[in-house]
Formats: sequence, structure tokens, C-alpha cells
Amino acid sequence: MKLTTYAQNLYDLNVLKDQGYNEVILEAKSLSRFGKLSREDFILLSNRSKELGLRVLMEWDILMTEDVFGSKIKEVQELLPYADALRVQDTGALNWGITYSGKPLQFIAENGNHNLKALQGWVDLANGKMERIILSIELSKNTIEEYAKKLTVPCELLGLGRILLFYTPRPLLSALMPEKIAQNQELAATGESEESPHKGFPIVENQHGTFMFHIKEFCLVEFARDLEKSGLAFFRIDQRWEKPSRLVEISQLTKEFQSEAFEKLKHDYSQDLMRGFYLVNKTDILFPKLKNSRLQKREGHYVGEVLESEKGSHLAIMVKNPKGLKVTDILKILHPKGEVFETKIYSLKNVALEDVNEVPAGELAIIQFVGGVWVKSQVFYHHEIS
Amino acid sequence: MKVPIKIPEVLAPAGSLDKLKVAVLYGANAVYVGGQKFGLRTAAENFTQDELREGMSFAHERSAKVYVVLNSFLHDKDLAELPDFVRFLDEIGTDAVIVSDLGVVQAVREHSSIQIHISTQASALNIQSALLWKKAGASRIVLGREVSVKEAGKIRREADIEIEMFIHGSMCMAYSGHCVISNFTQGRDSNRGGCAHSCRFEYSLEGLDTQEKKKAYFMSSKDLEGLRILPAFIEEGIDSLKIEGRMKSHLYAGTMSKVYSEALKFYAGHGHFLSDDLLKWEEELGKVSHRAYTQASLVEKAGAESIFNERENSSEDEWQMVGPVIDASPKAGIVIEVRNAFNQGDELEILPFSGDVIKVFAHEIMDLTMKAVVRTRPSTLVRIPYVEGVQSMYLVRQRSKV
Ligand code: SF4
Repeated sequence: MKLTTYAQNLYDLNVLKDQGYNEVILEAKSLSRFGKLSREDFILLSNRSKELGLRVLMEWDILMTEDVFGSKIKEVQELLPYADALRVQDTGALNWGITYSGKPLQFIAENGNHNLKALQGWVDLANGKMERIILSIELSKNTIEEYAKKLTVPCELLGLGRILLFYTPRPLLSALMPEKIAQNQELAATGESEESPHKGFPIVENQHGTFMFHIKEFCLVEFARDLEKSGLAFFRIDQRWEKPSRLVEISQLTKEFQSEAFEKLKHDYSQDLMRGFYLVNKTDILFPKLKNSRLQKREGHYVGEVLESEKGSHLAIMVKNPKGLKVTDILKILHPKGEVFETKIYSLKNVALEDVNEVPAGELAIIQFVGGVWVKSQVFYHHEIS
Repeated sequence: MKVPIKIPEVLAPAGSLDKLKVAVLYGANAVYVGGQKFGLRTAAENFTQDELREGMSFAHERSAKVYVVLNSFLHDKDLAELPDFVRFLDEIGTDAVIVSDLGVVQAVREHSSIQIHISTQASALNIQSALLWKKAGASRIVLGREVSVKEAGKIRREADIEIEMFIHGSMCMAYSGHCVISNFTQGRDSNRGGCAHSCRFEYSLEGLDTQEKKKAYFMSSKDLEGLRILPAFIEEGIDSLKIEGRMKSHLYAGTMSKVYSEALKFYAGHGHFLSDDLLKWEEELGKVSHRAYTQASLVEKAGAESIFNERENSSEDEWQMVGPVIDASPKAGIVIEVRNAFNQGDELEILPFSGDVIKVFAHEIMDLTMKAVVRTRPSTLVRIPYVEGVQSMYLVRQRSKV
């Protein structure tokens, strides 16, 4: 498993060389979400990387509406000759890369993309030009292992770094400071909400929009060996918001894990660290509770719904089944809380209060009162519900 | 020779079978619905298979289309359950499925011949993205809400693919599919229907040049409203105009379908919108519960003015649903299923499927057994005297008693 990371200056490149890195991610300011490099600096760092034997990965990870996309192509074309591979997240940038770049492609599949079929699908759409897939940090270890083994291209995963929670093109911080013009400067703040137990979300606004991060950083450094064994090819260290010197410590820990050194890193680190869903992802566990249990039981031969229950007088049922409702039909009535009542119809009236033998679908049927049945109870033919 | 104007379809949300019927009857050309699984509205009253079948027939009999939402980003185990459902959707004549995930796109293609629309959750924003999804098998792209109508027209022409755009409703502040706040703070996957709307919370912000913390709903968006730019959608050849809100009320589904379909019909007949009716349509949109409206990025990039920055509140001119008409005939009177109570003497408005609102005063109210009622109660049925032209399924509303 190889390490990969970002560089923002010549000093970073020397550190990478010393730490045995083979590649570096360079980000131009206008193409990358958190890029700091001008066009000239990008070229300077790219040339120096080559001298040091580092492969240059050019990150073009902003999302772009059509006009923005059009305005970026010239710069992408100018910088591409200085890169060995192109990293993208916008599916439009991916298609442009496949069609025009002539470079190997790395697709950042960190949002969504939680099944093998989708991930392999992106590889296949790239017609042999995909060289790497960057996996979501929401995947658990068994899934990462499966994907690393089954995908036909190598996989990369964030090993340590900020967790991006939210990305919008709208300028949300400068909107609160009308005197500031955010276009060319980065604004930063931290946020907390009484409606959330978490305090101090880092928020950044720059020319690409507003970004909010988790209060903790993502860290799988202690699992680096396991990930290597499971076939993960690239482990990314993102220290763009940390002291550059820390990269040495982390790189060494990743290569050779030592508990004490790791405890020290956690202690010294500016943010708390978390392993996210690495051990297990249960983010759908609450879903059945979110659904109304009444509705889950509704499949089957359904008559309709009770719209009025007048104690001692009647039930009014909106008949929805094309078979209609007849005198002597036997019904099972499912209370919203799950209790079931049975009744045989002996009094049936239509909406005009006329005694009838049958009420067709789409009309109101008024039958005798059944104790305990409430409005919104669901009505079924007796033999079709158990 | 005069080139006929292509009028976009009005695509309305239908969170339940009743809402599907309401939307179609009030003029929507198409509705989008969710099954019990695979869609993003986990808490919505999604459709059972029987209801999907019934909804499909109801819509098709009235020349409306039904799109089924499969826009979760599925995990492998969910994807394994998809083929049976997709085959069922094909069998009942589903007009299209709305999908975000490439794995789902492929599964739909392998197991059915249903048309595939790429969901806004996929954040397809440009020509190249549309081309890639087209290569993957899509026939339509629901563009991200960050795209302007002009850009959308360009995408439509260059990528030669159908384009659907949101014209009305609540908005995700983030690029759709690019917000995982709920995943990491509440353990609920927002890309599988678990969004907890954390963007609508009030936040205290520190570090904004002032010593004090600044309190703000800074991530909360106003609601989208694009009525006045309908001509631009038409000029750019946009195929479908989508109204957000499967979780919203019957009154919302009905009002939105009616307003946008009537406005488009007017344009089709006159070739312009220079009508007093524009004010009437705007008034109607204002009567439904909403946050302050914005055109967001439909014309220019959304800026500071698109942020709501307020706690949820109801506007003064908000109207609430009294209930749907269950039956209407000279014999039975107008039977209303009361959802919000009204009193004897109150002024009610009955919203017809097309044309002007019918105003009535509830001078006489009776219960189902014909006994006089002074004050109605929710979850009961009442009768008011019959008014010529009123039909069952019309919606009855009344000014909110704030
Ligand atoms: S929290 Fe807000 S921005 Fe995030 S997914 Fe939910 S609605 Fe969208």
C-alpha cells in the first residue's frame, strides 16, 4: 500500500521525497476545492516533483455548472501537460477526461457509490482510462476489502484528514458580512447549534463556495496494516489544515504502527479523531422506525379507510377496492395502533343515508359502529388478512 | 410557417395515492412517487405495490405519466433486492424511474426496459455530465438546482437529451448528494433517505471578525419559485418542470399542479404571459405554506438573498386545507372530510380542478346523520349545502386562523 498526499509548497515536496512517497496531489486554486496554487506555482511544483521522482496527480475536484465548466477548460488544458494523471469528482469532468485529456484518470467516488456495480460501472465507462477509484469513507472494512479485491483498478481511501460534510456553491459566510468580498479570500468560522450535540464545526468559504467539516477528523492510521492486507492500494494523508511537520510523524506511524506514538499523535492533534463507519455502517438502522408501521402492513386485499367513527352510531368507510362493499361482507379492521377488529356488515347506507346492498369503489359506505375502531383504521376483507 | 410551441410537462410530487389523484386531477402531466424502498423519502407515505398499480392506471387513464423514484445511493445488500421490484414496475407500465446511482441504472437496464431519468441527487450540472449519463443509458437528466435555465438549454441542445428542472419547492442548500451532515452527526444516511435537515438549524458562528458569536440560520435556503420565468423555460426547450414536495400536503400538490398547468396552458394558447392571471397565480402560490421565495440560480447564481436566515414561520396570508370533498350531489350536499376545523359562518374556498375558486359561506353545517353542527371537528365528515359544479376530490381551504 502506497501513501499519497497533497503538497502546497516546495518544502512539502522535500518532505514527501524523504518519506518515500512516489506521488503527490497538486491543486490549482481555480480548479480544486481547497487549492492554493496559482498557475505558475502549480507548474513550479510539478517540475520540482518530477525532478524528485514524484508522480503528479492534478486534482480538479470542484463541481461545475455548465458556464463554470466552460470557463475552466482553458486552465485545465494548460496545466494537464504538467500532470501524470487527472483526479476528478464531477461526472462532467470525468467524461471530459475520458474524451479529451489523454491522461490516466482517478475518480473520486467519495459521495454515494456504495455498491460494487456502480464503482465498476465508472471504471467501465472510462474505456480503459481509469487508473484508480477513490472510495467513500463511509464504507466499512469488509466492504473496502471486497471492493479492493473485486474492482479491476486499484482503490484509494482517506487515511487521515478532515471529513467534508457539506458543499454548496453559495457564499454563506460572506452573506453575513456584507462588507467583505469573498471572491479572492478565504473566510473561516466555526459553528455550533443547540439542535446538535456537536460543537465547533469548521466552516470555510472560498471562491468555490462554502464547505462545512466534521468537528473530528477521520483516522484509520491504526488500521493501515489491515487495509494493506485487504488489498487497498493507496492510503491518503490529508494534512492541509495541520502543521506540515506532522506529515513525517504520520507517515512513519502508517508504515510502522506503534501504540505509544499513536496515543501521542492523538493527544497532540488539533482535533479529536474518529474512525467513522470503518468497523460497521448502520446508518439505515433507524429507517424502519421512521416509517409508519401501519403503512407497512397495508399490502393485500384492502377495502379502504375509516374516515369517521361516531361512537354508538356508525363508521364511514371510503371504499377503494373495485370489488366494492356489500351487506354481509365480513371485515377485519386494523386500528392505527395495530389492534384488529372483526365485524360483519348488517347495516349499509350510502352517502345520502339510503339503505343499500352495495357501495361501489370511490364512494362512502356507512356501516354500523364497531367499538374501538378509530379514524384512519384500515379495512380489509376478512379472508384476505391474517 | 409558425413553429408550434413546445410546452414543458408539469411534474408534481405525489407522496401517497390520494395525492397522486389530486395532482393529476388538478392538471399535472406527470407525477413522481416512491415505492416502499429505494427512494429518498423514508418517512413519506410511500406506495405499496397495489397502490402503485392503482396509481398507474388512474394516471394513465387521464394521459398523465408516473415516474417512480429509486434515487437512494444503494448499498450492495439493497441493490440485491432491486431486480424483482424493477420487473414489477415494468409490468405495471411505469413511465420512467428516477435514479441517482450508476449501480441502480445498470440494474434497471438489465431487468427492464423502463426509461431512466437521472435524479438531481446525482448533481449532473453540465453538458459533459449529461453525455456520460446518456452513455450509461439515461433518457433524461434532472439537473442540479445550481444550473440556470440558460445553461440548461445549452445542455439540452448539446447533449441532445431530455432535461428536467426544479421550478418550485424547498431546496437542499448543498449540492444534492454532497451533504453527509446527517450521516456523521445523527447516524442517518441522507443519501438513503435519512436527512435530518441539519442545514435548517440555527448555528452560532465564531470567528467572523467580531468578538461575539453571530447567531444565524446561515445554511438554510429560501424556497424556489419560478413562475415568472416560465417563458425562459419554454424558450430553452426544457422538457419537464418539477415541483418538489412529496412530503407536503394535498393542498400543496393540488395548488401547485393547478397553478403551473394553468399558466402553461395560457402560454400555449396566447404565446405570452401578459395576463392579469399572473397576479392571480402568484397569489395562489402565496396561499400555500412556504418559506420566502427565491429564484435561486434559475437566472443568476444564487447569492446572499437566497438564504432564508429565519426560524420557520407562517406568512400572514397562509391558507390551510379544510379538507377534501368526499362527495357532492344535490341529494347528499357537499361532504367534506374535515382535516382542520371550521365554524358555522366561516368563509371557505373550494378549489376547482381548473378555473376560478368557488367561495362559499358555511351558513349551514350538518354531520353525516344530518344533525346541525356549529363547530366542526377534525377527523369527522360534515355536509354543507350543495353548490353547482362542485365535485368530489375538490379541495376546500380557509384562511389560517393565526
Ligand atoms: S441537511 Fe440540508 S443540505 Fe443536507 S441533505 Fe439535508 S436538506 Fe440537503
